[in-house]
Amino acid sequence: MLSIKNLNVSINGKPILKDFNLEIGAGEVHAIMGPNGTGKSTLAATLAGREDYEVTSGEVIYKGKNLLEMSPDERAREGVFLAFQYPVEIPGVSVTNFMKAAVNAKRKHYGLEPMDAKEFLKTMREKMALVEINKEFMSRSLNEGFSGGEKKRNEIFQMAMLEPSLCLLDETDSGLDIDALRIVSNGVNKLRDKDRSFVVITHYQRLLNYIVPDHVHVMYGGKIVKSGGKELALVLEEKGYDWIKEEVGETV
Amino acid sequence: MALAENIQAEFKSVEHADAVGQVRQQAFDAFSKLGIPSVRHEEWKYTNVKTKLPETLSVLNSSAPTVPSYNSVTEFNAVKLVFVNGVFTPSLSQYSEQQGITITSLKQAFTTHNQLVEKHYGKLVYFNEEHFAALNTAFATDGAFIHISKNTTAELPVLIVHLFTNGAENFNQTRTLVIAEQGSEIHLIEDFRNLASSAYYNHVSEIYVGANASVNITKLQTETANTTGIHTLEADLARDAKFTCTDISFDGALIRNNVNARLKGENAEAHLYGLYYGVGNSVLDNHILIDHIVPNCQSNQLYKGVLDDEATGVFNGKIFVKQDAQKTNAFQSSKAILLSNEASINSKPQLEIFADDVKCSHGAAIGQLGKNEVFYLRARGITEHDAKAMLTYAFANDIIEKVGNPQIKEHLSTVLRNRLGLAE
Repeated sequence: MLSIKNLNVSINGKPILKDFNLEIGAGEVHAIMGPNGTGKSTLAATLAGREDYEVTSGEVIYKGKNLLEMSPDERAREGVFLAFQYPVEIPGVSVTNFMKAAVNAKRKHYGLEPMDAKEFLKTMREKMALVEINKEFMSRSLNEGFSGGEKKRNEIFQMAMLEPSLCLLDETDSGLDIDALRIVSNGVNKLRDKDRSFVVITHYQRLLNYIVPDHVHVMYGGKIVKSGGKELALVLEEKGYDWIKEEVGETV
Repeated sequence: MALAENIQAEFKSVEHADAVGQVRQQAFDAFSKLGIPSVRHEEWKYTNVKTKLPETLSVLNSSAPTVPSYNSVTEFNAVKLVFVNGVFTPSLSQYSEQQGITITSLKQAFTTHNQLVEKHYGKLVYFNEEHFAALNTAFATDGAFIHISKNTTAELPVLIVHLFTNGAENFNQTRTLVIAEQGSEIHLIEDFRNLASSAYYNHVSEIYVGANASVNITKLQTETANTTGIHTLEADLARDAKFTCTDISFDGALIRNNVNARLKGENAEAHLYGLYYGVGNSVLDNHILIDHIVPNCQSNQLYKGVLDDEATGVFNGKIFVKQDAQKTNAFQSSKAILLSNEASINSKPQLEIFADDVKCSHGAAIGQLGKNEVFYLRARGITEHDAKAMLTYAFANDIIEKVGNPQIKEHLSTVLRNRLGLAE
């Protein structure tokens, strides 16, 4: 699904990701944990194609294609989905019109006609139910005045609508109370599929109680310094990150 | 002959004996002193109007124009007055009789409603200060006349269409007079259209909004490519009156919108909205003024601009609060986005407040489309073009939402979508 080799990324000339490597197979869920400022969100933004992130070297192969050569919108149409840590408020663009544009952009990419209005509404309703969104959402301006929990549910709703192959969840748990966390996680779990892979970026083990990963990686200083199974998350929860820093400190 | 000389010579052939002959002469004398303004004039410093008016223009109405075919804004039930090069054209117009409402041509009204005309015509324009209002008052011989009697609500909107076919021959002088008596209500649309390769016109609307009356007007300059159009709208509000003007300018070599609302009776409210979207070399200039003369009135100015290519926008929003106008509540907001590096905007809020117990606020913002917003849409697969178009549409549609008439609103949304290349 995704193969990242020796990826180096800078922001304003400052290196953030340093020789980053990661292999993700189809249907796998990878959690990426680590303290603040280690490059977790940079990884997500780089994969989504954010402009300010300069790839200085390395390669990213997604479904056999060079991901780094694609524009952000092309990546999305090819099935890469970033659930934003801070979803952007867009006044005047309704959730419905936005979703229609996104769904039809993808369909056009695959040579399909725009989805007919009836089918579109039906799909909207189904996917909204998945994250317990009520239908007045459809006519509201995108993220405008949404609570933190509503914004995150809206991200997972969009993910459900667009049926991506690679889902990047950037701190989707931040700012969520326990009920919203449960709803969002349930939504994600229902979307788990043998052909769909997830990268779940989080500070806390809490989210991983709900979305159980196949692999857990710890990032520090712009690269993965430790990988393991889901039990690694529990160790991190118990012991914090300091022991990792010490371990890395010894080897650097 | 140069334009200034044409104007002097041609005034001799204008009708002098009708109900407005005297006003015409006063306006002409005023114009003779003022002339066409240069960029040295404070109100014209951003817009060089002299370069937008060929010297060979004639200001006389051309006689008996051929009747053109055109696509109406949209087919909806309305009273329609159509003018070709400023001359009323009954064959294109459409009437509906309603008790208490007179809708006719000014030329007709000069005779049939001479008392109303004499009392109101030319009384709202400041022709000692306003060059083009003076020129228009001197030369206009036709236009729209609308009178709504006390406590009458116009059942149908009134659509006034100005078609221009005479290109660079004429500087057409077009005119509207609206008298909405106490407690009356009317909805108006003025649509200006260039059907030739170029057009030149100078329009004046005088609107009397009586006590507790309501007038809502939408001005459309969406079919005005290669056009120099100068508008002066003067609205006079009595107590408890409500006036709403939505000014839409999408094209034009130069479109100048002067919109002046004078709040002369307590509890009156004025809402001035505007959307200007310039492409190519368009110059879209909005000079608006709200004059708070008496206490306890409300006003609201909300203008938005989109400027692409090498287009230029101007926003000059004045709020005057006179000494007596205590408890005034006045709000102004001007926002513009520049879609190209060559586009420009001159924005000048101008608040002159002489009362001490008032609430006045104003804000002006000029910027580009937000990077984060564009990225968010692209991250969902929407192309860069469509992402920018969607955001521009959302920005501009905010003003279109203010348009009172649903069919016009729908029409403008479509025009905007087409311009942006945005699918339904």
